[in-house]
Amino acid sequence: MKRLGIISLFVLLFIAFITIWNYSYQTGLEDAYIPLENEITHSSIPSEAGVFKRSEYALDYAKMTIDEKYQRTLETYYDNRAYHGAPPSIPHPVSQEISMGGNTCLQCHQNGGFVVKFDAYAPVTPHPEMINCRQCHVAQNTETFFTETSFAKVQAPMAGIHNALPGSPPMIPHAIQMRENCLSCHAGPAAPKEIRVTHPERINCRQCHLPNAVEYSDKDVFLRNNN
Amino acid sequence: MPIKSYLAHPHKGKKNELMEALSVLEQCEVIPSHNEELLILITETDTTTEEEILKEKLDALESLKLLALVSGFNTQKN
Amino acid sequence: MYTSLTDRRKFIKKMAMLSAMTAAATMFPGILFADEQEEGLPSGDIKWTKAPCRFCGVGCGILVGTEKGKAVAVKGDPKSSVNKGLLCVKGYHQTMCLQAKDRLTHALVKKNGAYVKTPIGEALDLVASKMKETIAKHGKDAVAMYTSGQSTIPEGYVASKLMKGAIGTNNLDCNARLCMASAVTGFLTTFGADEPMGCYEDIDHADVFVLWGNNMAEMHPVLFSRMLEQKNRRGAKIIDFATRTTRTSMAADKSILFKPQSDLAVANAICYEIIKNGWVNTSFVEKHCNFNKGLTNMGYGLEDNYKFKDKPEKINFEAYKEFLKDYTPEKVEKISGVSVKDIKYMAAYFGDPNKKIVSYWCMGMNQHTRGTWMNNLVYNIHLLTGKISQPGNGPFSLTGQPSACGTAREVGTFTHKLPKGVVMNEKHRRLAAKIWKVPYERIPSKPTYHATEMFRAIDRGEIKFIWTQVTNPLVSLPKTSRYRPGMEKDSCFVVVSDVFPTPTSDVADVILPASWHIEKSGLYGNSERRTQHWDKMVEGPGETTPDAWMTIEVAKRMGFGDLFPYTEENHVEEIYNEYRQFHQGAKHGMAPLEVLKSQSGAIWPFVDGKSTQWRFNAKYDPACSNEEDFHFYGKPDGRAVIWQRPYEPAPEEPDSEYPFWLNTGRVVEHWHTGSMTRRIPVLHKAMPRAYVELHPKDAKRLKIKTGDKVKLTTRRGEIIMPASVNQRGIPTPMQVFVPFFDENMLINDLTLDSFCPISKEPDYKKCAVRVEKV
Repeated sequence: MKRLGIISLFVLLFIAFITIWNYSYQTGLEDAYIPLENEITHSSIPSEAGVFKRSEYALDYAKMTIDEKYQRTLETYYDNRAYHGAPPSIPHPVSQEISMGGNTCLQCHQNGGFVVKFDAYAPVTPHPEMINCRQCHVAQNTETFFTETSFAKVQAPMAGIHNALPGSPPMIPHAIQMRENCLSCHAGPAAPKEIRVTHPERINCRQCHLPNAVEYSDKDVFLRNNN
Repeated sequence: MPIKSYLAHPHKGKKNELMEALSVLEQCEVIPSHNEELLILITETDTTTEEEILKEKLDALESLKLLALVSGFNTQKN
Repeated sequence: MYTSLTDRRKFIKKMAMLSAMTAAATMFPGILFADEQEEGLPSGDIKWTKAPCRFCGVGCGILVGTEKGKAVAVKGDPKSSVNKGLLCVKGYHQTMCLQAKDRLTHALVKKNGAYVKTPIGEALDLVASKMKETIAKHGKDAVAMYTSGQSTIPEGYVASKLMKGAIGTNNLDCNARLCMASAVTGFLTTFGADEPMGCYEDIDHADVFVLWGNNMAEMHPVLFSRMLEQKNRRGAKIIDFATRTTRTSMAADKSILFKPQSDLAVANAICYEIIKNGWVNTSFVEKHCNFNKGLTNMGYGLEDNYKFKDKPEKINFEAYKEFLKDYTPEKVEKISGVSVKDIKYMAAYFGDPNKKIVSYWCMGMNQHTRGTWMNNLVYNIHLLTGKISQPGNGPFSLTGQPSACGTAREVGTFTHKLPKGVVMNEKHRRLAAKIWKVPYERIPSKPTYHATEMFRAIDRGEIKFIWTQVTNPLVSLPKTSRYRPGMEKDSCFVVVSDVFPTPTSDVADVILPASWHIEKSGLYGNSERRTQHWDKMVEGPGETTPDAWMTIEVAKRMGFGDLFPYTEENHVEEIYNEYRQFHQGAKHGMAPLEVLKSQSGAIWPFVDGKSTQWRFNAKYDPACSNEEDFHFYGKPDGRAVIWQRPYEPAPEEPDSEYPFWLNTGRVVEHWHTGSMTRRIPVLHKAMPRAYVELHPKDAKRLKIKTGDKVKLTTRRGEIIMPASVNQRGIPTPMQVFVPFFDENMLINDLTLDSFCPISKEPDYKKCAVRVEKV
């Protein structure tokens, strides 16, 4: 009887210990509640979100030294496009003709980097989320034409002339649809040297640089008459 | 007519020496930093060939550790 | 239209140099290049002069380049600790509005329905005689002045002196009532002293930024860039708590959307969580806080002559805890649409003792029918956790206008205010009378009309004369559909001082041509209590005159010359020196003019040659005198107040007839009513007109695409404007957003003139609207 009493006492103690321990473990869990981070819950605005897309690399861009030997120029940049704003063609052989861009093109064009085979830095795409690359970007497999054409390239905007006042920030002379991400073309070793930004660490680009090419019919100077 | 700007890093303690060496060159304009071992160099040349010759001269300078190009412009003759 | 550069090579060389300097600065932060950095850009003939920016309340330091008497360039002042050389697009191009062809260069007097060019002296004679005549016929309270948070300190000071000291009426209010009043009453009710305790340097220390209904990426872009820099360098977090997805949400770490008006409930739920989880800084609260409750069901000020006075009543912590039981995250989720998880997420950051946290807000919280309450509630959170008045910890109310703090709040161009204190307080009236050298009895002890009521009184015919300066009320007031016809009535003589013609000057009897920013000297005070001075840089065209001088001239013509003994050349200095006497002492001492001239401003309290960056903290603030770490000396017992403020619904919520919320606001390109920025070609080209923003789901249901014409109808009126879907921002479903800068599409004809009963600040963010495709 006495032994039974002692055993049941110990059993009780043990159960109590388990319960208390469990309880304190649970409350401990609650106290240690740590906010979940980086969960994107809101809808995205393409024209606004794009500008911040590569901002996590902004500081790296700022620190990058410039590889003079392999710089692109604005001229070669425009040469690779049928007209200003057209999707660039692919100036190099494509490794896998059949694959989707997500597997091939993005390997080099998502983040860029030096490609020994082509002796150049890969330009970074401003829209890596669109992976059917070959829908718009095609190879150049011949230099000749089927028939002659009279298509004339329109004058593309030059660099260095888009500021309204001496020293004021230049306006954006091109449409930004699908090119919302400024840093992909204006920073890094593949950026054409004329349009490489001096301050990639400032990532809210459109705080100072506004699209100058908004297509509205009346964009004259705002004036009114009082009498 | 190329205009280029560089960041010129001198060898340790040779900032003044580099400054003097660069000032002698006609096509060069130098702005030394107050508080860091660094100079800003702006070159202005008439032709690309002249530019290349200048570059060689610069590379030959002993007090110069590293020359990093920052920006380059090429304007038409006017 | 772009400037042709005569010496292009020289310019390119400077460009090359500048980019090299920028590159050097990223490698060696803080690198200095002789004077070259300040000289910066273009040719040697340009003279650079410092000033605060003309636009928002951030108060960036700018350097204006002048050449041959004309402003030709603007750049950020690298010496200014506010912006460290950076500006926004408005800042860089501000001086370009001066070249607008429709600049008001001469006084215009309306004769037989047409404006006649009149010599300025004659126009001022007319203004003075009209004012005198009205006072003689209808009494002092029949004349009024309506000024601005963009008035310089001297301009606000002479307006106050003329109305309250010389004439003896409290009929003086300003447009800052429309943007800052709730912040003021929030500070006064909680701390007993106006204006933020911290400063912009908080950004460099904080780990978390909570933006309460504040699209900083567009409205305070320079401060936002400073935050982004900290996010990139140190991993600081940005939480965007708003009713609209914006550019700010895109850059933020977390975007939390809530239903309009329900921020009151969410703030209380955060307090509930803080207490429930034991995150209260007990010793701080016991030493430095009291608990109060006030009246509820205050109404919304919709009826004319509405009056309200709060009755504060002390409560204890237990009663406050009991009150918060209505605001558990689960209950609040139903009111606000914010998930329990998100409420706990925010509360956890506030509660974490190892995280430094700053709250920022601007119009979302201030333009709110419970704006004062909402300000109190955010202070509650910071007080409960003791995260206040320390580097990187604190609530920070941002301002919209460059001198909303400096002029409207500190000089006090409100009906109830004096340069120090309020008209209701005899001691304050005696001090003002002494400095102004007027009989003390002349300053009336009762406030009269706040902004909205002032324009109602014009409509009712009580005010027979009004003079507006540096403001455009017929674009910026709520419910302009009532106040425009009101001002057009013959019963009121309207004088408008401005730089450009506006919808307000359209109803004027006399239009006075004002000098712009850099065409006069002046002082502004920004959001972080920084007072900044600038010198006149260019001559204004025609007979343009500084507003302060026009006020002085009218005062002289009314026979008050002895009270305004200032000289035309030096009136700014003379007035500032007189004004400084009001604020002497450790709690609000202003920096002497020599200091302000030599550097990019100074933060008050300026004591013993030093700015006070964090008020109420004994480590930084010499005015603390209770031998403790903190001293909220604005209150007699040195304790800040934690207020019990409930959630109450908005006055006009969507119903079956008007099913959408209407929210209004601003865009990065334009500043307020656009009278300046729309005349800057770069900005106008980028944002030529207003639009109505819809949620994509609503747009789809109503078959509306971007650019389609949409009719908005409220109980006040209707308007047709182009739609915008998935462009600059996305409002929450069943809400539309319209920017108010466009005088060709006056959205304020539709807004509701309800206001916070305590602050009298209107709510532009919430009323019910019907949306139809046309």
